[in-house]
Amino acid sequence: MQGAIEINQERCKGCRLCAVACPLGLLDLAKRKVNRKGYPYVEQHDKEKCTGCTACAIVCPDGCISVYREGGLRRAKVPQQTTPEVFQTAYTESEKGNQLPHPEEAQSSQEVHLMKGNEAIAHAAIRCGCDGYFGYPITPQSEILETLTQLKPWETTGMVVLQAESEVAAINMLYGGGGSGKRVMTSSSSPGIALMQEGISYMTITEIPTLIINVQRGGPGLGTIQPSQSDYRQATVGGGNGDYRVIVLAPWSVQEMADFVDLGFELAFKYRNPVMMLSDGVIGQMMEKVILPTPKPRRTEEQIAKECPWATNGHGLKGRKPNILTSLEMIPLEMERRNLEMQKKYAQVERDEVRYESYQTEDAEYLIMAFGSIARISMEVVGILRSKGIRIGLLRPITLWPFPEKEVARLGKQVKGIIVAEMNAGQMIDDVRKAVCGSTKVIHFGRLGGVVPEPNEIISQFEQDFL
Amino acid sequence: MTREDIIRPENLVYGKPQLMNDVSMHYCPGCSHGVVHKLVAEIIAEMGMEEKTIGICPVGCAVFAYRYIDIDWQEAAHGRAPAVATACKRLWDDRLVFTYQGDGDLACIGTCETIHTLNRGEKITIIFINNAIYGMTGGQMAPTTLMGMKTSTCPYGREPQLHGYPLNITDIAASLEGTAFVSRQSVHTTSAIRKAKQAIRHAFENSMNGIGSNLVEIVSTCSSGWKTSPVKANEWMEEHMFEHYKIGDLKDTVHP
Ligand SMILES: Cc1ncc(C[n+]2csc(CCOP(=O)(O)OP(=O)(O)O)c2C)c(N)n1
Ligand code: SF4
Ligand code: SF4
Repeated sequence: MQGAIEINQERCKGCRLCAVACPLGLLDLAKRKVNRKGYPYVEQHDKEKCTGCTACAIVCPDGCISVYREGGLRRAKVPQQTTPEVFQTAYTESEKGNQLPHPEEAQSSQEVHLMKGNEAIAHAAIRCGCDGYFGYPITPQSEILETLTQLKPWETTGMVVLQAESEVAAINMLYGGGGSGKRVMTSSSSPGIALMQEGISYMTITEIPTLIINVQRGGPGLGTIQPSQSDYRQATVGGGNGDYRVIVLAPWSVQEMADFVDLGFELAFKYRNPVMMLSDGVIGQMMEKVILPTPKPRRTEEQIAKECPWATNGHGLKGRKPNILTSLEMIPLEMERRNLEMQKKYAQVERDEVRYESYQTEDAEYLIMAFGSIARISMEVVGILRSKGIRIGLLRPITLWPFPEKEVARLGKQVKGIIVAEMNAGQMIDDVRKAVCGSTKVIHFGRLGGVVPEPNEIISQFEQDFL
Repeated sequence: MTREDIIRPENLVYGKPQLMNDVSMHYCPGCSHGVVHKLVAEIIAEMGMEEKTIGICPVGCAVFAYRYIDIDWQEAAHGRAPAVATACKRLWDDRLVFTYQGDGDLACIGTCETIHTLNRGEKITIIFINNAIYGMTGGQMAPTTLMGMKTSTCPYGREPQLHGYPLNITDIAASLEGTAFVSRQSVHTTSAIRKAKQAIRHAFENSMNGIGSNLVEIVSTCSSGWKTSPVKANEWMEEHMFEHYKIGDLKDTVHP
């Protein structure tokens, strides 16, 4: 007798591939017997003939067979072993680029620059320790990728910049990068963001923190390359499948485009959820003064391991359970539990992260509500109407989700009417109506399809409805 | 020598790989996925890469690969595994990053990501299980389904006028400048399994040495989808699949 096998008959599924592989034909299904799973299983007969050749075990798809041989591995062919150190030579550079982007600029970080909103995003990303940008060109935001490739951050901070083959690929690159604990971002405009919805849905349930920038243009479809705000609803209630939310930040200046990159990452990692910056072609394209954020280094592997113990990067695997990021759950009760956890998190976001700005609302009899670029036009409207003696104020939500519901409800009781100015057919107005709950009259002003209004258009609408 | 003398830990010459846990796999009896899982688990351990590996699961029967091999995994959306892997590898360049995908996932809904990831020469490995059918959803036609082959969505057999032709994506991969190693193997016999293991190992080593992108196709069976027994499925594969999907290395820039 030279060899022997042990068959884990509870694991066996009775496929008989081992029986075919055994050169001596020593294996076959046990007659009229099944295991606890209901599978017939194999047995070995004429055990003393076994040579321990391993053929049965090698072909077994389920790893049911252990093979023993006299003399053990001394006589068997030992698989070639290596250690990861062998590969280190190729990657000694791996932690290399982690300098600050522009050392000389670090001191003069209060310096004022003049640039487009899209460019400011690129500079801010490098400066706030972003690890990777993945995106596909589309107007009116291509300057983000273009600026990044001009600045070559991979040579300074080590930030990866990659032009993806599509928005679908880009968002899934974020899924991978964010899932492994890195600070990653993408940017696109409306049609591209539509393609990303599947990936965003996946990132919410797997709790992967990422930053997505939508420099909106007019739709539906290819629409126009001119500015619009018609993705409000998609951004705030979710355009993908499932019960989820993303935190939505609405910048109204080039300065906020720069500032919200870091804020976006902070919120994303704090809540392990995607964050969207909902901008539009006006702010993306306009040149304005901006103070760029003070440069900070990208996080080291140790810092990532500490901050993101859930991340899938292999770090410390031998001392912990494997990290698995999956959205699939076969048991409805378990899926419900995960959903409820998400909802709990969202309730906390709604409680703690509402951001808005108000102008001259203290004594206001009327209120204008607007976000993003049209809020700038609305500021002018406030000035003009005030000069005519009308006490009107402006409320500008900065977080579109969570929506400043309480403040809107409070002001709803104070004012005689609210005009909601949007560059869409009336989307944020639904949230305003919900918040005021009938306590005041709410009217809509909107221009669609990429048209940016003049202040006097908003004023005539206001006068027509309220005076 | 008695059986008891032989069955001792020091005499163990082959067993379930250490990285493969005791969870019973959901695959059908005889499914090729199981053998390839064993190879992946063995190679990662033999390379000592447990703490430096990121696996990307597909949507398809292998969606649950993460339940069986104890490494870090991300489960990607249908077809998107190569994009997920691209970012992981670019952001963690000292990691072993691989995807594990079926033919529907890789050669249909994810064709774009597959081609572009390979063509960019991402330093990753794609393990491609080609069973010529959609297994998970119950045996529908795949892009790789052979001419004349019957599936639940071409019940009278695949014909060119209705369904076009079988897509040989591995041949396309070999023609891309970004690929370093492209190989087509099978796992139906012990010698085939040994060769498949060598191929995957070579691909993994290339990925770690920063050499191009690597694709190992495993021509596989799906006895459930093919509506036959595991043993007959292997025979059918030898008779029909190998004619269209020829076994061997298609491209090796390291050992040409
Ligand atoms: C977007 C999307 N479309 C369709 C599906 C349904 N689906 C799940 S697996 C699958 C096909 C899998 O076939 P293949 O990749 O060949 O893998 P196999 O199951 O044969 O291993 C499909 C169509 C899905 N999960 N997501
Ligand atoms: S190959 Fe494995 S699963 Fe199949 S019959 Fe043999 S022991 Fe059982
Ligand atoms: S359906 Fe086919 S591919 Fe899927 S587990 Fe069963 S045999 Fe394997």
